[in-house]
Amino acid sequence: MAILFGGAIVSTDILFSSCKSNVKEEFFTPEDISLLDEIAETIIPATASSPGAKAAKVGEFMKVYVTDCYTAADQQTFFEAVREIKNLSQKKYVKEFLKLTVSQRREVLTALEMEKAARVEDKTKTPGAEGDAIQTGKQQEANKTRLKDAPNRYFPMLKQLTLLGYFTSQPGATKAMRYIQTPGYYQGDVPYKKGDKAWAT
Amino acid sequence: MINQNMGNINSKDINQNTFDAIVIGSGISGGWAAKELCEKGLKTLVLERGRNVQHLVDYPTMAKDPWDFPHRNHLTLKMKEDNPVVSKCYAFREDAMQFFVKDKEHPYIQEKPFDWIRGYQVGGKSLIWARQTQRWSKYDFEGPARDGFAVDWPIGYDDIAPWYSHVEKFVGISGNKDGLDTLPDGEFLPPWEMNVVEKSVQKRIMDNYKDRNVIIGRCAHLTQPKEIHLQQNRGKCQARNLCQRGCPFGGYFSSNSSTLPWAAKTGNLTMRPDSIVHSVIYDEKKNKATGVRVIDAHTKKVTEYFAKIIFVNAAALNSNLILLNSISTRFPNGLGNDNGLLGKYIAFQNYRGTLSANRDGFLDSYYYGRRPCAVMMPNFRNVHKQETDFLRGYMVFFSAYRSGGYAGGEQMGEAFKEAASQPGGWGVSMMMQGETIPKESNYVALSNDKKDDWGMPLLTISVDYDDNDEKSLKDFLNQGAEMLDKAGCKNITTNDSKQAPGLDIHEVGGVRMGKDPKTSLLNKWNQLHACPNVFVTDGACMTSTGTQNPSITFMALTARAANYAVEQLKKGNLS
Repeated sequence: MAILFGGAIVSTDILFSSCKSNVKEEFFTPEDISLLDEIAETIIPATASSPGAKAAKVGEFMKVYVTDCYTAADQQTFFEAVREIKNLSQKKYVKEFLKLTVSQRREVLTALEMEKAARVEDKTKTPGAEGDAIQTGKQQEANKTRLKDAPNRYFPMLKQLTLLGYFTSQPGATKAMRYIQTPGYYQGDVPYKKGDKAWAT
Repeated sequence: MINQNMGNINSKDINQNTFDAIVIGSGISGGWAAKELCEKGLKTLVLERGRNVQHLVDYPTMAKDPWDFPHRNHLTLKMKEDNPVVSKCYAFREDAMQFFVKDKEHPYIQEKPFDWIRGYQVGGKSLIWARQTQRWSKYDFEGPARDGFAVDWPIGYDDIAPWYSHVEKFVGISGNKDGLDTLPDGEFLPPWEMNVVEKSVQKRIMDNYKDRNVIIGRCAHLTQPKEIHLQQNRGKCQARNLCQRGCPFGGYFSSNSSTLPWAAKTGNLTMRPDSIVHSVIYDEKKNKATGVRVIDAHTKKVTEYFAKIIFVNAAALNSNLILLNSISTRFPNGLGNDNGLLGKYIAFQNYRGTLSANRDGFLDSYYYGRRPCAVMMPNFRNVHKQETDFLRGYMVFFSAYRSGGYAGGEQMGEAFKEAASQPGGWGVSMMMQGETIPKESNYVALSNDKKDDWGMPLLTISVDYDDNDEKSLKDFLNQGAEMLDKAGCKNITTNDSKQAPGLDIHEVGGVRMGKDPKTSLLNKWNQLHACPNVFVTDGACMTSTGTQNPSITFMALTARAANYAVEQLKKGNLS
């Protein structure tokens, strides 16, 4: 233990485990699922050619996936991300995310991405990171990456969950992409023109 | 427990429990032993330690779509935490986890890190194997003698070639007749196609390197079933690439879809799942093996079965375990183990190196269907003579594909969705399958004090890489990067997974074949030198590893040994 805390490295696990104890998440109520659906729908909206993330029940998918497949630290990041979206909605528009227009929702998610990136900049300037003369350039880079990894994962995480949930759903795989469980044969060269859909699997 | 029960067997039991042949294990080699022996008229008992898995009936996920899996075919955190070993395996996912041993069910001791991937069920790992099948060449058999490692193989390519043909015809192997002496042609069904980028890489590599060949993979898939396959009720491969779930079409070869039902049709097969083999029984008076002791997986009751010949096909390391546990006055260190080498000279294949790259262009071409094999390059290192600072070489596999098209720009909204729904540019991924050198220091042994729930000693595994593997890996990464560069690829990245031995699932040896009983366990017919009515024909018998995927060689060796055993029985030599 002494080695862990005596060293300069503070892992994200430790950061998360310290705040985990006092936050018992009561998440994934029906309202939460609706919110997640709308966040996902903002990322992957319904279009003329295919249903969006909401119709694909991506909110429900996120509940199952985050609950069963995420580490405690990743769950924490996920909950923080959703809270941050709620905060940003209030801060920018004094409204709940669900009551915002489509373009306002996009503004909120864009702000989420930008704001966090800005926060990373601040952190790299704190002593012990960039300012530490002993650090080599490589260490500085590693430190930046590490700090960047931690807080800036909010939007990428929600985006990845949405993409995974949507394109493995029936509407996503069969309407937005192309899906054939049993192709019957393989052909190595078929003509492709821009706009043709990808294979879902 | 064992000895108490032994006294209770009466003559009626013995009669009921007596067969012509016993096969331990129902995986890819055990299935072949069963088929050959049953076809030749031998009443054959197949013992399988795991549950029954019946073709089609017991493939619960075979028709599922991605959205049918609650975690979309990913592992839950609990599944990963409970299974640190098997969850590393690429095929252990939501759709096929029912066919893999979970870590806690069957512990073993890792003296050095070794990811032991197992499939305890009827069909064994033949249900979940990667299905790539290449013949060994004469250079592979000649390797140990030429380079002075392990011992000389007691057979050469010409000995096994007809048996490759024998099994290939029945299994159904797709491939192109490439006419290479480094990877001899077989009895091929039509080959799979390469896509446009693979063809381009192929051309550029072959233009740049006169000694290197790039060919389409050869695999156990029915691209065009023949009469013999239709007789097995197997049909054409549908290019689903969902094989590890079990195939509703019988499109790929497994014991379940092929050899076991074929053996059953003869009326000579008795299949006994849930039967853990404790040991082979050696009769000190008759100087031969007379049967096996079996522990019922559920009741733990011990029963003995008897036969004239015994085939040990429990999968490489478990075959070692059974023989090490077969103790008698004559063989105090394990059956046939007069020289103390049983369990030693374990080898595997080096999978650590991978590369990935991008290939610009070719955006007017895509592919249809999911091909169950990759492009490959037969070993080009040290083939005719020693040329590098490491021994032997590696097979190279690569494939090209178009991945997601949502790299840059808007990260949400209509345009993002549109871009994400389309294929992106081409990527190429490459991997190695390297030969490792069997060494006495790479071994398995029985634990002195730890036992499993059935009273069997746990297997201790002590297997590691060596300097030769590191050099071979380095060479592959250098050569791979150079070849991808010459092929016009960009953003080439190399990776050393540092994965532990075992995850290749190509572990072999411990009961190696050889000419000399002083330095090997098995003769050229896979009989234990010191107990010739016991045959070991799974991966345990391998003297060296080659660079090929091993299963087709296990199958050919098994068919060859089984036919020899039947001939010998007829001549009265084994009874």
